[in-house]
Amino acid sequence: MNNELVYGAYILVWPALTLGVLGVICWAVARDVRKAKNSDEDLL
Amino acid sequence: MNENGFTQFSTLTVLLLLAAFYGGTYLLTLLIRKDKEDTSGFMVAGHHVGFGMGAASMTATWIWAASFYAAATSGYTYGVSGPIHYGLWGALMILFIYPFGRRFRKLAPNGHTLGELIHARHGASSQMILAVSNILGSVISLMVNFTAAGALVSVLSPLSFETGVIVAGVGVLAYTLTSGFRASVFTDFAQLVALMAIAIIIIPAVLFSAGGPSVMVEGLSRLTDEQANLFSVEAILHQGAPFFVAVLAYAIGNQTISQRLFAVREKHIKSTFVTATIGYGAIVIGLGMIGLMALSVGMEPIDGKMNNLIPQMVSTYLSPVFVALFFVLVIGSLSSTADSDLSALSTIMMADVYGKNIAGDNPSPRVMMLVGRITMIVATVAGLIFASFSLDILVMLVFVGALWGAIVFPVIVSCYWDRVTNAAFTWSVVAAMALFCIARFELLEMTGLTVLFFEVLASVGGAVVIGLMVFGFFGRAAGLVAGVVTLAAMLFFATGFLRDYMVLVASLTAYGASAVVCTAMTLFSKERFDFNLIRQRVGDYDDVEDDTHLVPEAAK
Repeated sequence: MNNELVYGAYILVWPALTLGVLGVICWAVARDVRKAKNSDEDLL
Repeated sequence: MNENGFTQFSTLTVLLLLAAFYGGTYLLTLLIRKDKEDTSGFMVAGHHVGFGMGAASMTATWIWAASFYAAATSGYTYGVSGPIHYGLWGALMILFIYPFGRRFRKLAPNGHTLGELIHARHGASSQMILAVSNILGSVISLMVNFTAAGALVSVLSPLSFETGVIVAGVGVLAYTLTSGFRASVFTDFAQLVALMAIAIIIIPAVLFSAGGPSVMVEGLSRLTDEQANLFSVEAILHQGAPFFVAVLAYAIGNQTISQRLFAVREKHIKSTFVTATIGYGAIVIGLGMIGLMALSVGMEPIDGKMNNLIPQMVSTYLSPVFVALFFVLVIGSLSSTADSDLSALSTIMMADVYGKNIAGDNPSPRVMMLVGRITMIVATVAGLIFASFSLDILVMLVFVGALWGAIVFPVIVSCYWDRVTNAAFTWSVVAAMALFCIARFELLEMTGLTVLFFEVLASVGGAVVIGLMVFGFFGRAAGLVAGVVTLAAMLFFATGFLRDYMVLVASLTAYGASAVVCTAMTLFSKERFDFNLIRQRVGDYDDVEDDTHLVPEAAK
């Protein structure tokens, strides 16, 4: 049981980490879009 | 499924998927299109890319089609530690460059390429060495990505390899041509979101469809002791060590990275590159785990080709919908890298070739834009031709890798040490390449004092790699201590041992020889360079004024 847990965690930690980074990136882009709109500037 | 065991889509399905991907990406670029693009926007998005867009773009650019296949191959070959030994070092290439990137940006806040900075520091010959290495790297990358598109399309549909190559080339060019780097960054974000979302779904889906962790644990008995060991020496020596040696070389030699160092807002360089490091590592290691799962369930790659592993696992255990998602994943990853290569090539031709070497003192922004767009078209055509011929690029890769290794030390020390001269830079690279060739192709008999000489040079190379990495994060004293300790350890342990790994010796020789020659010639130099001149010499091209007096002597 312990081995299954460790093996499963070892594989699933990477998509979980990916999900976290995806969240951070989307949050940061949304913030930049808001800032750009408020200051009437281009995002890029 | 076709006779090989892959899910087979109809021609119409694949064409619709490609049209949806490239059509959607093209439509996205319409959102940021300007009536009149300027050179700064076209090359570095005006130097004000935010943290989110910057991190997404750096991650998407660094993930290319080969990343998944190679990580899965590593997992299949070396077992539990395999994916880490592929993904971790690739990720560290992004991490280790950012301290130097902040220095580059401080010296040349309005720069577009590392070549411009080196031109301002030394002159044309050093700059062109860097530019040529960047161009070769981007052309190879372009070709590899187009080839991957052709291979994927031909495996999953009745369409030919050439059709896949042409659709990818034309699709990428269409959405990058008008807005250049701005289009590349903007579409990178969308492509990365899709890529991450698909990776998040596919990895657990394969795990549980193949029977879940319990079946995988049962399959661990198939692994050899080395494959089952998280700290496998075999994996470290064969997969990790060569990548570790290349960490700084890939980052310095790649304009796609330096372009983003000059494009992201200065205060966001660290957060952007740290986030991209984690993002790249998580996606690539995660998808590499599919190779480990294939090993655990006892799957044999079709025709013995390791690149078949991921499509085979997805086709075997998941529905065609997931295979379509995988298709989008690979097309997204190769397109995001290819558009970055096109942007990188156009920027090098615009700034390094036209701006600094052809236009003289008065580069025209209009001509510059034309040069950039023509470069993109020519590069795409060249990439398509090279990919269609399926050229063997191994020799070219060997030389480019060595060239990148040879320029690492001269480029970095030129940004910190005011005594380094153009001659020291140029001759150190020339000497390093010559010595690399002797070691790599064993042009001399590698026995006795000769092989000992190369082992000592390789030891210096190892010390340079570690010393520069530590220097980037912890400063000069720590870097010197790390370098000296590494050199002592290498001389003690590696001489007499490294000669069995001549490929590694040759790579390290490139680092070591350039460091020795550059340092020796610099110590004889009485020149003192004022680093403030770089800021004055590297500027935007949209408001060019006559600044003949700012051109370095060596560049005239």
